[in-house]
Amino acid sequence: MTQALPRLSSGISGLDQVLGGGFVEGASYIIQGQPGAGKTILSNQVAFASLKSGRKVLYVTLLAETHDRLFQVLGTLDFFDRSQLGVSISYVSVFQTLRESGLPAVVELLRKEISRHGASLLLFDGLLNARDQANSALDVKTFVAEVQSQAAFVGCTVLFLTSTRFNDDSPEHTMVDGVVELHEEVPGVRSVRRLQVKKSRGSAALGGLHQFDITSSGLTVYPRLEARFRYPSVKDEPRSRSLTSGINGFDDLIGGGLPEASVTLLFGPSGSGKTAFGLNFLDEASADEPGLCFGFYETPARLLAKASSLGVDLDARVKAGHVDILWNPMTENLLDKLGHQLLDAVRTKKTKRLVIDGLGGFERAAIHQPRMNEFFSALINELRALGVTTIATWELHDLFGPTVTAPGSELSSLIDNLVMLRHVEKDAQYRKALSILKVRDSAFDPRIRELTFGNNGIEVIVPLEPILHSATGLAAPVST
Amino acid sequence: MALIVIAEDEFLIAEVLKIMLEDAGHQVEAAAHGVAALALVEQKRPDLVLTDFMMPLMTGLELAQNIRANPTLANIPIILMSGAQASIGRAHPEAFNAVLEKPYNEARLLSTIEQVLKPQTT
Repeated sequence: MTQALPRLSSGISGLDQVLGGGFVEGASYIIQGQPGAGKTILSNQVAFASLKSGRKVLYVTLLAETHDRLFQVLGTLDFFDRSQLGVSISYVSVFQTLRESGLPAVVELLRKEISRHGASLLLFDGLLNARDQANSALDVKTFVAEVQSQAAFVGCTVLFLTSTRFNDDSPEHTMVDGVVELHEEVPGVRSVRRLQVKKSRGSAALGGLHQFDITSSGLTVYPRLEARFRYPSVKDEPRSRSLTSGINGFDDLIGGGLPEASVTLLFGPSGSGKTAFGLNFLDEASADEPGLCFGFYETPARLLAKASSLGVDLDARVKAGHVDILWNPMTENLLDKLGHQLLDAVRTKKTKRLVIDGLGGFERAAIHQPRMNEFFSALINELRALGVTTIATWELHDLFGPTVTAPGSELSSLIDNLVMLRHVEKDAQYRKALSILKVRDSAFDPRIRELTFGNNGIEVIVPLEPILHSATGLAAPVST
Repeated sequence: MALIVIAEDEFLIAEVLKIMLEDAGHQVEAAAHGVAALALVEQKRPDLVLTDFMMPLMTGLELAQNIRANPTLANIPIILMSGAQASIGRAHPEAFNAVLEKPYNEARLLSTIEQVLKPQTT
């Protein structure tokens, strides 16, 4: 029978997930990254989180900023608790010991300090300075090995911080149990922070790069969604119920309503009725079927006004607590932050009716476009498993035209139901047409229908009279 | 002019303090942790001890308590220099003659030293 290793939570849930459950207690890690990458904030955040579980922490520096300057910076962060300084957490410098007596004296000093404080977490900031003092790779290995073995002996976890990017085969890397690397990159004109667990002995860490950001709360890590939810977090149970779409006349076309826990993609150009469709869907939200609008375009206030103009009293649903609106402007977003924000909200609010307006907002946030299918796959599978019935919109770029650029073919195959909305010019008048292209495992009415919406809501009415090319937006009469 | 022992683990701070105090005409000896500082105090019997709070092996409070516990050293004035632990220092007037809360400027450092040394020299 396998045995789980005891873990030290980093206090950063996303990092714990990436590490496979947190740092292994009594193990040693290197936290590396260029200056400004976030090592100091990360390590102090871990330290102060540890204090909450009654642990004692020893923070050792070599040649670094003064501790008071460090406390000034940390004072801007929510997790920092000045009253713990010198009580449960001690910051000491051992630079003079290193300079005057060398690495063995530092090892001896650390052993005494760990014992004196009863520390169960040692943060050692300045591994590079220790390396500079060493005469050989063996000296470095010996230093790291001695510090970690002494710490491990008393169950103390060690984080070595360094601003240098040690090679994977460096003596430091070979000795420690794990390596976490922090990056700040500028792909194009924006900066993005990412971390990677480069070594994780005895732990099934999530590989690859994971985005994080730094706010007054410290680091928040967003595990790459397709790695975190490679498989759904809960079992995906088959369901036979249908949910009303809230659109007059639509449910009859698809066998009684939207299949529960399905994902419907509404795609069409701007103004074709995608958001209006979604708002009507949310108008059916209730205490038993809470709704969530996760949007990128309209602010909540504008969305409520839009709903009102369509005869949908979304404001009342919001005030009753049956609908929540989460708006993320299409500015500088992080793809995985959006994904986790959405899933966290769904879990917290127990959402059953979800409108994502629209999927393009995720795509715009992606730094690495080729992963979008994997991202959407993980997101959709998780939503389905959580029993969420989702309507997602996708904006077509061209208002009219002979060709329709459908969402990527692989995305279409992930989606359960496909509904296309188009503007159709007929008799010097624009009309809105709705076509159902796919309903998973169910028959549906394939005829192109006209869609109307106004003060009394949205309605699917009679099939369009026979015309050609209505799906292109450039309809023509059927020649007789 | 006085012989002053500085107990400060942070090398850069110890260096700056040493320069300031020597410029003011004092003689300075520095130790990088509390245990070394106590040994230095026993050996040199200085006129004043300036100590940080958080240091390896012995805190500034433990250093002060050890000095006070030794009858031959007990009367040496001690100033605690600290930011975060200034309140701990003020809670122990029996250990510290003064508390210099960081950040402080050179003038305040020297005037505090002058005030603390005055009773000893008069």
